[in-house]
Amino acid sequence: MARDFDDLVGGDDLEPEEELRLREVHDLLVQAGPPPDLPPALERLPDEPGEAQILTYPMLPKRRWAAAAVIAAALAVAAFGAGFLVGDRGASSSEAEAVHVVPMRGVSGALASIRLGKRDDVGNLPMEVVVTGLPTQPEGAYYTLYLTRDGKPRVPCGYFRMRDHTTTVHFTVPYELKKGEDWVVTYQPKGVHEPGRIVLTT
Amino acid sequence: MAVAVPALTVRLVTHETDADLIQRAGDGDRGAFEALYRRYARPVFGLALRRLGDRGRAEDAVQETFASVWRSARTYRPDRGPGAPWLYAVARNAIVDRSRGRTDASGDVPERAADEPDPAERTEQSWVAWRVHRALEELPEREREVIALAYWSGLSQSEVAEFLGIPLGTVKTRTRAALQRLAEVLEGELE
Repeated sequence: MARDFDDLVGGDDLEPEEELRLREVHDLLVQAGPPPDLPPALERLPDEPGEAQILTYPMLPKRRWAAAAVIAAALAVAAFGAGFLVGDRGASSSEAEAVHVVPMRGVSGALASIRLGKRDDVGNLPMEVVVTGLPTQPEGAYYTLYLTRDGKPRVPCGYFRMRDHTTTVHFTVPYELKKGEDWVVTYQPKGVHEPGRIVLTT
Repeated sequence: MAVAVPALTVRLVTHETDADLIQRAGDGDRGAFEALYRRYARPVFGLALRRLGDRGRAEDAVQETFASVWRSARTYRPDRGPGAPWLYAVARNAIVDRSRGRTDASGDVPERAADEPDPAERTEQSWVAWRVHRALEELPEREREVIALAYWSGLSQSEVAEFLGIPLGTVKTRTRAALQRLAEVLEGELE
């Protein structure tokens, strides 16, 4: 979508020369398009580059090892979430048959539905989440579906990124749903791992 | 047991020019090389992805690009051009090698720094994206987030404000500040 400079940046207080300068940057941004998400393998540096490798990525400063550990932990959590997603892909349509549907609505007219399936004999609860109208997130950001307790997002049920205007994901959770619990979706900016701003609620 | 941190890795390098960093990397300075990696990993990956259309091969091309940078940084001559076009040329050659299925990237380093990339081998779009994505790395995270949402998410500014839970005026302020910062980077570092 082409963005309008006057809508985004314009203002009567801009000097003509400054406006021209910013307009050029604006045009470049529109022309360039969004930067790609960097794959996890390129986010961190190899642990022990082999002797035979000519390339040895620089050692991380001590402080960044802690950050790397946090990133690794976040990736592990994300992988757990991805496991939910992948693990449920094999479910047949009958297994995914909705027992209960939870509608959600949120900011900027975004909508979602959670189709809760039939819990299996060991307690796995499949769900299909269809989200419409949430923005495609900046690089490194994502969304999290939470169960709420005491009105606050407490129990993560899955993680996702918007690909298109409407995105469908599948999760499976082993949680027992209790009375008074609700669902929310939070927006998680890059580097933020605590529950972020709520963008969808039931 | 205390871990010795190499002195070079704690030097502040983020405000040095690309040319300075390439020259220091050519002298074996890993801190400078790491700073180059932070600045250029994403532009290189974006260029490779656009050219190769495959994330796995694009990842390999990024690795090869920085291997080439590390090996050949000492051949860079700042009097022949800024650092960004030189890095672009190295990346482009590594990507071309990857697209041909070659594994030996040892000969892919330009003999001289180019004033600008070879137009026969790249589109204007790729060069613009390279410069802009490189410049975006200089923005504070909150400004980069607003730019991404305002330009590429399909939200209006009012919707960005609602989405982030901040006043509309703050969105406009951050957008303008981000563009001013980008202008400085693009004019100062990359021209």
